[in-house]
Amino acid sequence: MNTWTIMIYELRRLFSSRSMILNMFLLPLLLIFLLGASLSGVVGDKGSTTIDVVRVAVVNLSGEGYESSAMMDSFLKSTELKDIITPVMVGSREAAESGLRTGKYGYAVVVPPGFDSKVQSGEAAQLEFILGQKSTDNRVAGTVFDNFLRNLNYKQSVAMTLGPEALNVMAPSSTSNEPSVKLGELSEGGYSYTSSQFYAVSMMLMFLLYSGLTVCTSLFNEKENHTLFRINSMPVKGSELFIGKMLGVGVVSIVQCAAIIILTNVLFGVNWGNRPGLLLLFCLLMIVASMTLSIVISMFSKTGASARSVVTVLTVSMTFISGGMAPLPESWVNSIGAFTINHWAMQAILKMMLHADVSQIMPNLGVLSLICLVLFSAAAISYRKVGYHG
Amino acid sequence: MAIAVLTDVVKRYEGKLTVDHVNMTIEEGEIFGLLGPNGAGKSTTISMICGLLKIDGGDILIDGLPVSSKSLEVKKRIGLVPEELALYDTMTAADNVTFFGRLYGLRGKLLKERVDEALAFTGLSDRAKEKPSTFSGGMKRRLNIACAIMHRPKLIIMDEPTVGIDPQSRNHILESVKELNRLGSTIIYTSHYMEEVAAICDRVAIMDKGHIIACGTEKELRERVAKEEKIVIKAANITPELVQELTLHPRIRRVEAKDEVVELYLPSSQGELQDILFIFAKHKGIIGSLNIEEPDLETLFLNLTGRTLRD
Repeated sequence: MNTWTIMIYELRRLFSSRSMILNMFLLPLLLIFLLGASLSGVVGDKGSTTIDVVRVAVVNLSGEGYESSAMMDSFLKSTELKDIITPVMVGSREAAESGLRTGKYGYAVVVPPGFDSKVQSGEAAQLEFILGQKSTDNRVAGTVFDNFLRNLNYKQSVAMTLGPEALNVMAPSSTSNEPSVKLGELSEGGYSYTSSQFYAVSMMLMFLLYSGLTVCTSLFNEKENHTLFRINSMPVKGSELFIGKMLGVGVVSIVQCAAIIILTNVLFGVNWGNRPGLLLLFCLLMIVASMTLSIVISMFSKTGASARSVVTVLTVSMTFISGGMAPLPESWVNSIGAFTINHWAMQAILKMMLHADVSQIMPNLGVLSLICLVLFSAAAISYRKVGYHG
Repeated sequence: MAIAVLTDVVKRYEGKLTVDHVNMTIEEGEIFGLLGPNGAGKSTTISMICGLLKIDGGDILIDGLPVSSKSLEVKKRIGLVPEELALYDTMTAADNVTFFGRLYGLRGKLLKERVDEALAFTGLSDRAKEKPSTFSGGMKRRLNIACAIMHRPKLIIMDEPTVGIDPQSRNHILESVKELNRLGSTIIYTSHYMEEVAAICDRVAIMDKGHIIACGTEKELRERVAKEEKIVIKAANITPELVQELTLHPRIRRVEAKDEVVELYLPSSQGELQDILFIFAKHKGIIGSLNIEEPDLETLFLNLTGRTLRD
């Protein structure tokens, strides 16, 4: 009963603070709106883009005693290319350049004389590319021919280091009807997240981590007001007091989380994915992780100010390292970012937004649950060791 | 019947004895004063009585229950008025009292009655809906008391309840203490203000450096120093030579000279006054006034420790 009383009064005190309402409810919405609107070009896209087939002028030169490249001819005839590029054989470089200027071609490639024999004699395979007017066309056609060159150079290096027989061994896979690369979609539904979605997730997680600040404030205010001393002199068990206070902060964090999700959905049209149950679970785990981490910090801090400083630094650092403030390189996010709490929740919620399969989300759930378990144990041990006294 | 019995109570901080084998019995219905300078061990003793600090040695019984093993039961019988204000500034006065009342297990109509009663008792009924941040120091002190008495405890412990307040509020609090006692509560009142303790307490224990150095009624304590008189002389031109000659007088036990006041402690002023006046005249000390004072608790403390209560 005392736990309930303490929780109710904790809630009353928290909700009567204007600064807390401002920090917990208005600030996240403002940040999501500002970041989502201003960085919409940096994160995700606003819809699917159709890539047109690119007309490519191919100048397959002969001369100096060499025939035109059979390898290129063979490559251009492959069926996989027909949906990506349309090769047009052109007699000269000038004709290709003229076509690029008029927009007749989107891209041009010049095959130097003796290309095949140079490749067979072990020299590096090289082509000359002439860019067209559209960056998308350049990127698409450039990727196609880059892959062609890379494949040739790879086979060449295999033959040189392992001998020509190695190429025969490789042959079945390359000549098989099965494509060597299986095309698919990262998300089953083919969705992509917008900048508003990205920042809604990252800011919500950052502010859930910030609920640790409320824990520090709540625990230390009671000491600094000397009310903890009075409560300790009353027939209230230490655990009742502590659990009551933590439940109060937890409820506020849940309300904050729900408010961010509902209001961003209503105001900014943020789609939080198709798994509300899992979303709630991840949010609860984040709240538990944040609160237990702050309990550990509070137990070993001498003043409320020092505890709040540590929590703030950790929250901002973890949000940044996990890529929550600005998208960071994938390698960074998956290596260093993996040491942060919010990384696991953020990646999972983004996957939910992409309507990904549950099997892709479960590993994150496992890791986050483990983090919570470790932090919860650490908080329980610290509480037993240090206690909460006035 | 004793409501609090302390037997050989010991408390150590970092190996140092802060409460050193304290023995004390507080009878039901009395106002018991705990007097001593800052750092004497009063607050530590009170914290142990309230179950806030672990007892390192000895035993404390409250209403027959050992504090060490029946802490929660003991706490139900106690109302602590801490030295520091222990209030929530963001809640109204009534909410503060209600919250602490709930923690004492009061509910519903009874809780409301007791909250109203406590606020009325401390003269805060008309400010019940206001937050303590708008209160004067004296009003905050009264609210601090209201939060500790609403459950009608058998034993009320007041730790320096009049620190830093105006004389009017101080009188109000002292009257409240007497009234609470009349209503049936036993009071333990700690202070380093000798006059307060002397004015309201039935019995007094004087504490210093963790020990109880004297305990009894004010009359009993006065009798312990009755053999000594204090002569207070206000004079001009008090020279070191004059003080030196007074100190060397065989019947004067101690001389304290500050600014234009000389305090002399001696077994009896009779027969010595002539000598004292002669010494003043010899050193051209001009006497403005001369008072012979009866010994008080301050004198007793001085007598026992060689220091004043406010040292």
